[in-house]
This record gives sequence, C-alpha cells and structure tokens, in this order.
Amino acid sequence: MVGMIVRRFFQLILLLVGISFLVFTSMYIAPGDPATIIAGPTASQSDIEAIRKDLGLNDPFLVQYGRYINGVLHGDLGYSYQTKQPVWDAIMTRFPNTLKLAIASIIVAVIIGVVAGIISAIRQNSWFDVSSTVFALAGISIPNFWLGTVLILIFAVNLQLLPVGGLDQPFYTAEGLKQLVLPAITLGTGSAAMIARMSRSSMLEVIRADFIRTARAKGLRERTVIWVHALRNAMIPVITVIGLNFGFLLGGTIITEQVFAINGVGRLMVQAIAARDFPMVQGSVLLVATLFVLVNLIVDIIYTFIDPRISYD
Amino acid sequence: MKKKYWSYVLLVLMLAISGALAGCAGKSASNNASSGSQGKENVAQELTYAMTSDVVGLSPILTNDSVSSTVIDQVYETLFVRDPETMEIKPHLAESYETPDDKTWVIKLRKGIKFHDGTDFNAEAVKYTFDKLRDPKTAAPRASLLEPVESVEVKDDYTVVIKTKYPYGPMLAALSHTNASIVSPTADQKQDLMKQPVGTGPFKFVEWVPGDHVTLEKNDDYWQGAPKLEKVTFKVVPEVTTAISMLQTGDVQFIDNIPAEQLSRIESMKNVQLIKKEGTPVYYLGFNMKKKPMNELAFRQAVSYAINKDEYIQQLKGLGVKSNSVIGPKVFGYDESSENVAYTYDPEKAKQLVEEHGYKGITIKMLVANTATHMKMAEIVQAQLKEVGINAEIESMEWGTFLDSARQGKYDITFLSWANLTADGSELFYPNFHSKNMGATNRIFYNNPTFDKLVEESRTAIDPEVRKQKLKEANEFLLKDAAVVVMNHGVVTAAVDQSVKGLEIDPTGQWSLYHVHRE
Repeated sequence: MVGMIVRRFFQLILLLVGISFLVFTSMYIAPGDPATIIAGPTASQSDIEAIRKDLGLNDPFLVQYGRYINGVLHGDLGYSYQTKQPVWDAIMTRFPNTLKLAIASIIVAVIIGVVAGIISAIRQNSWFDVSSTVFALAGISIPNFWLGTVLILIFAVNLQLLPVGGLDQPFYTAEGLKQLVLPAITLGTGSAAMIARMSRSSMLEVIRADFIRTARAKGLRERTVIWVHALRNAMIPVITVIGLNFGFLLGGTIITEQVFAINGVGRLMVQAIAARDFPMVQGSVLLVATLFVLVNLIVDIIYTFIDPRISYD
Repeated sequence: MKKKYWSYVLLVLMLAISGALAGCAGKSASNNASSGSQGKENVAQELTYAMTSDVVGLSPILTNDSVSSTVIDQVYETLFVRDPETMEIKPHLAESYETPDDKTWVIKLRKGIKFHDGTDFNAEAVKYTFDKLRDPKTAAPRASLLEPVESVEVKDDYTVVIKTKYPYGPMLAALSHTNASIVSPTADQKQDLMKQPVGTGPFKFVEWVPGDHVTLEKNDDYWQGAPKLEKVTFKVVPEVTTAISMLQTGDVQFIDNIPAEQLSRIESMKNVQLIKKEGTPVYYLGFNMKKKPMNELAFRQAVSYAINKDEYIQQLKGLGVKSNSVIGPKVFGYDESSENVAYTYDPEKAKQLVEEHGYKGITIKMLVANTATHMKMAEIVQAQLKEVGINAEIESMEWGTFLDSARQGKYDITFLSWANLTADGSELFYPNFHSKNMGATNRIFYNNPTFDKLVEESRTAIDPEVRKQKLKEANEFLLKDAAVVVMNHGVVTAAVDQSVKGLEIDPTGQWSLYHVHRE
C-alpha cells in the first residue's frame, strides 16, 4: 500500500509538469492577448506595448514557460497578470468556499443518491423505483443555472427562507448553513441522480448473488442482509462515482458559483481564462489536477477497506 | 414492531426538519420586520452595490476597466469634473486655471485638502501622479491619456504648470478622466495602491476581499463635508438575475447597467426605482477599410441604406437613443444639423447600389463579440442585409478573442462601441478613426488625410467654439464617407431600492455616492 502511494505521488509530479506544459501551450496558442485585455479597449498601441514588455510577453515561448516552471518548482506560482496578486493567495482566498460547497453538495448527493438507489433496487419496479428513475433523469437533465435560479426565486425571493447568494459566513453558524442549502441542492442534484442510478444497478446485481441467498438461507434478518452484506459489496462502483463527482466538484463549479455569487475557484478560473491571465489559469488548473488525483488515490485506498480482497502490493 | 420503530424515526426526522424550517422562516420574517420598521425611523446609512465582476485593482494609474473605476471614483478625485447636467467641465480639486499660451496650462489647486493618510494634497502630489502615469516603466494601461503632455512642473505648493507638446484642446476632459485621479505620493511609496488605495475622495478604503467585496467607509474629514452614507459595500454578483433577486430581497440596494431583457422584471418590483438617462456611449457598425469591397464608398452606402435602425432600437426597450451622428447628443462636438448628413434606411436605394456595382449575392464575414447586445445587433443587421442581396456570415467570439481579431482586421464588417468617458468628440475620433491609431483603437483601419487633419485641428485648438466647428466638420466628413453606420447611442441605467435617495448617474454611466443617503 505504501509503495502504491509513493508511486502515485511520483506519477502526480510527472502529470502536473505535463498538464502545466499543455495548459501553457494552449493559452499561448489561443487567440487573445493578455496585454490587450489588461489595457482595455481604449488603450493605445504604446500602452499595450508597455504592458507586454512589463509582463515579459515578448520573450520566446520556451523562455516564458521555463521561467514559469522554474518558479513553480521553487514553490512560487507567480503573480496574476491582471491584479498583480500572488496566484497562491488568490486561489487560497477562494478555495475554502469551493471546498465547503463541494462537501455540502456531495453530502446531499450521497444521502439522496445511495438511499434512493438502494430502495429502488430492493423494491424493483415499485412506484418508488419508477419515481426515483424519473427524478434521476430530471436531475441529470436539468441545467444548474435553471435549477439555481428557480430555487432562488422560490426559497429566497418569494418564501424568504434562505439567502439569495453569497457564502461569506462560517459554515458552522446558522447563517453559514443557510447560505449552503440552495447551492448544495442545485449542485448535488446532478450527482445524486448519477449515484442513485449506480447504486441501484450495483445493488440489483449483488442481491441476486449466491452469497446473499446463502445469507438469507442462514436465517439472517433481511435488514442485515441488505445493509450489511449486500451494501458493502455493492458500494465499490458507487464509491468510484462518488469519488469522481467529488473530484469534479472540487474543481470549482462555475455555473453554481456564478448563480449564487459564490467566490470560488471555478469562477476565478473562468475569469482568468477570459482575461488570458496565464499564471492564474495555470495555478488553478494545477490545484484542480492535484486534488483530482488525490481524491482518486483516496478512493483507491478506501476500496481496500471495503473489500479486503483488493490489494495493491 | 420493526415497522413501528421506523415510523418513529421518520416522525422525529420530519419534526426536526419542519422545526428547522420554521426557525429559519421565523428569523427571516423578524429580520424583515425590523428592516421594515427601520424604514420609517432610522435607517442605517449603509449601502450595498452589486458589481458584475471583481475590481482589477484600486489604483487609478494601473487600471482601466469600468468596474474598478466605480470604486476608484469614490476614493479618489480628479482636478476637474464634468457637470452631469450641463456637461460643462468645472474645477474640482483645482480651484482655477489659465492658459497663458496654447501649450501651457497653469492650474491653481484648492488648499487645505488632505489625503486619507493625513498628508497634504498639493502641487507635488499632482506632479507625482501625472509623472507616474506617463512613465513608460509604470506600464499604465491608460498612459496615452496624457500623451500630449511634455512636462508637469511645480510652480509653488498650490500651482502646477502643465506644458504640452502641441496645443491640446481636450486637456480639461483628460484631466477629468478617472485615470487622471490624484493619488497620495506618500502612500504610493509605502504601499500598493492597487490593494490599499489612498485618495482625497468622500470615502475611505476599509477592505477588499478579492472576488467577494470591497468595503469603504465615510471620510469624516472630506473637504466638502462628510458624506451621509457611513459604509458602502461593493459586492461581486456576476449573474444579473441574482443581483436583481438580491435587490428585490434587499440584500443589495443598487445595481446598474441593466440589460434590456430584465427591464420589465425591475419595473414590476415595488420596492425598486429605475433610473434611466441618455448617455455618452456609441455603438456602430464598422467596415474593414483595408479590404474590398468595404473600401468602396458605394458598398458602404448600400449597407447604410439597408440598415433599419428603428427595428433594432425597438428591441432595446428604451435603452437606446436614435441618432445618426457619430458624436452623440451628450458628447462635446455634437451638432443637431449633422443628423441629416448620414445615409439612412432606404432599401430601394440599397438594392439599386447592390445591383449597379455587382454586389448581389456577395458573402461577407461579420465579426461579433458574443454579448447579448452585440449578437442581437448582428442578427438584425444580417437579416436586413439579406433583403438587399448581401449575405453576412456571423462569426461570434468571446471578448478577448474578439478584441484581438478586430485589432488585426480579421473581418469584413464588425460591431464596435466606445463609452466616451471623456465625453469629448476629439477623444472619440482620434482613437477610433485617426490613421495613427490603426491596428490599435482604430479597428476599422480608417485612413484619410483630410479627416486626420480635421481631428488634429479639433484637438489642437484651445477655443471651444473652434473645436466644435472642427468636430462638426469631421463628423460630417465621416458620415458622408459612410465610414461607419451608427446603430444607437446608449442609455445609462441604474435600479435602486426606494430607500436610496440622491443618486445621480452621469451620462458616461459613472456615479458618485457623495450625495446619496437612505431614508
């Protein structure tokens, strides 16, 4: 296991260098010049040139990339072209919000998804199963911006139960929790639907397995059969889906952050791309990639606990 | 027995959830009640404004974007300001000025004004600010604003002398621009003004949480008397529908730049007042003058005749002003008599020109920034051109790419706009259409010596009457040459909670919160 973790870390470093090169190249090739955008539409040619020089944008590609990667290897993610802020600070101001939102959404998704999936499986073709299928289909199909806007109109504007947006209160306070409810539901619905479908099909497969029949024959209570024996075995693919979803959520959730005015990493990244703020885009992509890899690593480790037959040695 | 156990659990859960919800509802209701009762008695003098994106920074020298200037305008001040009603320029931090010769501006400053850090506002501060803005090492995005300036000298503590390379007419307009705001030299040397701004304005900086909000508080020592608002928060709310919901629930009290499609929602809100005012921005269709057939007058005339502006302006639901003149009614240099010079909607004439010159069936590339306004403009014009036999293929792209493509002339026709923050015709014509700025701000590559000369004369004359005359001639020259088709002039908008009083928006879309209070 330790060997696997060490190996994964080395792979991560290689992966990050590869990703940084890809992102740097694509931003370099993409149309749109950072200096022109910073200077704004009213700036003259000399204004733009001065900024290009200041940012070192006239240097050859490899010189620019070399300078960047050298900084990264020394723990310096650089400064934003646009705001001149250190990239690390800018990301770390926003990351707690993204993390809060990702955790809250995945909790919503897991509770709804796993419970709905299992009940659908053990009561296959019942009214619950049918409505859960419809819910899952809707959950996957409804765009976040629509769901978010509708939830705001109902719960914030009309019923005035919850705030319209923002995520600036500590999560352990009542105000902080209230701020999380609507964005977490908006974001969690899609993941819940996916988790529900996966739990259902996985569970259906498992409850038909021989060992379940044996467990029943042994005279175990149905509850024990389902929630202990079947669930544990059905969880492997479900945990993969949860892990993937959580990884995506940690990457920032652009639309939900936009609709609920949440100051998160997703929004930062989109703004940075629009402003061709290379160091900021790089920094956020590297963070997201690292988190994604780490979440997957954790998922792999969790497998060994759920199913002792899985071993990485 | 088993079933009974589960139903108890379920019951407890339901009770807990409904209790929590009731708790939330109760609390929020009581909040509303308290804010309601405050309405009649003592409303907290606090205001939250929703801005569509975060500020880039808070230094007037190092930024050139409209969002940053909304905050900068409250913290810093300029030597001159434009009266939002009369559009006349009057001294502000300056007390008076004189021009002993065409290239010298002697500006006397007000005494007794202090920056927020307690240091004096004086001639040294003005020199420091302008020199830093002009210094190529600063790489200021709007250094070109003071491009005509040769030197800034301190005559005495409260007199500065600005010498220009050539006579420069729009000097006062340039000095009233946000980017010419005066900064505290002491503060600039000690700290980063991008993060901790220090000016002389009615509001002082408190904090900036990047991506979330900027907070200002009132400057008790403001030289014109302290403002009434105690605290102002600029909150980042990127989604306009969310900002409007927040306005409805009272989380924010002020938004601006309202899109036409949201007007009816705002008008239906009882607690909100909508403010509309004829503004300085101009939106126009530009031809790429480097390419055929756009460089042929007949083609440009045909396109001008083909476009029915009314059809487009109707879609703006009152947020567009019709005027054929490139210099809009709110901009210095406008002359009503120029309205009739342009080639206006006449599809028959358009068809005739298209037939005569063999343009029928021609396909051209229409470059469009993918904002709602520009896309709407493009679709309507595309349909109108089709009617006279010209096919326009829309190529839409996001803002950054659009700016680059337009600058490089990768298009046949495109839609451009200019906010006209100086509200001066020379500062519209020179960047947009003077041959010297081709490939930068002159994105249509207009290159005409006669026009260049007229614009230069309008810039180098000091007498406003002479300038006006030159601008009128330049404007009419541009219209006769059909260099652009003016689509509309802008209307600036804001929506405020009914408790907000005293807000005035400038035709440039800028505003000051100095006179604002809540009741």
